[in-house]
Amino acid sequence: MNFIECRALRFAYGEESGEVLHGVDLDIRKGEFIALLGHNGCGKSTMAKLFNGMLVPTAGTVLVDGIDTAVEETQLDVRRRVGLVQQNPDNQLVAGIVEEDVAFGPENLGVPPAEIRRRVDAALKAVNMYEYREHAPHKLSGGQKQRIAIAGVIAMETECIVLDEPTAMLDPRGRQEVMDTITYLNREKGITIVLITHYMDEAVRADRVVVMDDGQVLLDGDPRTVFAQVELLKRHHLDVPQATELVYRLNAAGCSIAGTPLNEDECVAAIEAYIRKNHLPVTGRNAGNAV
Amino acid sequence: MISDITMGQFFPGKSVIHRLDPRVKLCLTVYFIVLIFCAQNFVTMAATIFMCLLGIALSRVPLKLYLKSLKPILFIVVFTGVLNLFYGTGEPLVQLGFITITRNGILNSIMIAVRIVVLILISSILTFTTSPTQLTDAIERLLKPLALLHVPVHEFAMMMTIALRFVPTLLEETEKIMAAQKARGADMESGGLVQRIQALIPVLIPLFVSAFRRAFDLATAMESRCYHGGAGRTKMKVLKFGRVDFVSLAICAAFLAAFIALNILIPPAVVR
Repeated sequence: MNFIECRALRFAYGEESGEVLHGVDLDIRKGEFIALLGHNGCGKSTMAKLFNGMLVPTAGTVLVDGIDTAVEETQLDVRRRVGLVQQNPDNQLVAGIVEEDVAFGPENLGVPPAEIRRRVDAALKAVNMYEYREHAPHKLSGGQKQRIAIAGVIAMETECIVLDEPTAMLDPRGRQEVMDTITYLNREKGITIVLITHYMDEAVRADRVVVMDDGQVLLDGDPRTVFAQVELLKRHHLDVPQATELVYRLNAAGCSIAGTPLNEDECVAAIEAYIRKNHLPVTGRNAGNAV
Repeated sequence: MISDITMGQFFPGKSVIHRLDPRVKLCLTVYFIVLIFCAQNFVTMAATIFMCLLGIALSRVPLKLYLKSLKPILFIVVFTGVLNLFYGTGEPLVQLGFITITRNGILNSIMIAVRIVVLILISSILTFTTSPTQLTDAIERLLKPLALLHVPVHEFAMMMTIALRFVPTLLEETEKIMAAQKARGADMESGGLVQRIQALIPVLIPLFVSAFRRAFDLATAMESRCYHGGAGRTKMKVLKFGRVDFVSLAICAAFLAAFIALNILIPPAVVR
């Protein structure tokens, strides 16, 4: 079942500023974990705001759970289904205390106090921040703040979370925390995730990767199929995961390593298989460990 | 760290005063400030001071903090005290050229000084024992009737909440920008007043630009989380009157009766 449906979606910020999206068709199914890739200015952040009706298409439609996002009267219904987490963790927390910030969404929806309490506690536990509920957000790390922002969205019991480069301003540890939280919410709670990112290593954790270029969908498929097209991606100035890149370059230099490894382990296995197959001598200090 | 001023002067605790409903606390603070300025004679004055000291004792906040809160206003206390000294009426006690000091003048200046000190102490009890969020909440609830007159009470409370939330963030940013400008050779510590103010411009402009960007992001975040004004909004933490609140209100009501009676019966200390 399609949860979000974009049909011939066009968008321009103003009359003279030119079109950002030129007819995008995209279906997002319920429970999917989808990564939206593309370089700066390709329209992926615009997509994020179109998904929850913060922006309204210039032409074409966006349907969320069957509701047209362009209809003013039902916009609250769209936003309670699709939550948005932005890049800067500092700029999206409203209240001076963690639990009150998480309560902000349900309070806006007019949920009774006891039920808000229950949802806030559940949301904070889901992002593993329950013990920080009485802290002030500005004393937390970037990764923790971003998890609070995610908790604020799931406290509204949204079915889908759109994350617009949630890890761009975080250190590697914070990035890991946020990615683990997202993966957990998708796998265990069945929440649909739309992750907008330019880190390829994050994109490989998704079920499906959509690559955007110049306001259009360039590639759409599971990570392995998409990243196998290294040359096409490179032509559009896009990266591939490091492991994929390494194997691609080795092959370009004359090797013939099979498959498209997406992470370190797969890369090691692929190279090992290649070495075994061709009976190459293994030399070097760490040769034994690496293989 | 400058970002420490942000939590106001809130001193977390579990004392009776901490547990009081913030609305009650806010009202009682105003109530005692009015009383200390209405006290006409030494008896009612002493009684009000006693209530203030009782509040301080019950708050379980270290006395040192209260004394510290008095420090910045010491000059004002002395200044108004001395000024009032010369404006007494009646029989002069001392006459030095154009300066006349009367008994009334001395009493008046003492009373003014005591009143200011008590005023600060009473408001300190409030700020030490109430978190900024509780305070905003209390103000919103208390002013709610004004919403009938189309006063945007909820909007004011929301603005206060957001301002309190962003003070530390913006302070942190100011520090960062100042460090960045210093690293580029900006000189902020020397020169006269005009030069120093000019040196602040390269700090203020980036700060403003970023504040607007933050505001834009925050508006998106709030709207994304279904914010649509105060209508139909609920609250997670509902303020509820407890036994402590009723008891303290009863005590203060009884005190008011006694205060009015004594204020009328005993002649004022300062004859005008």
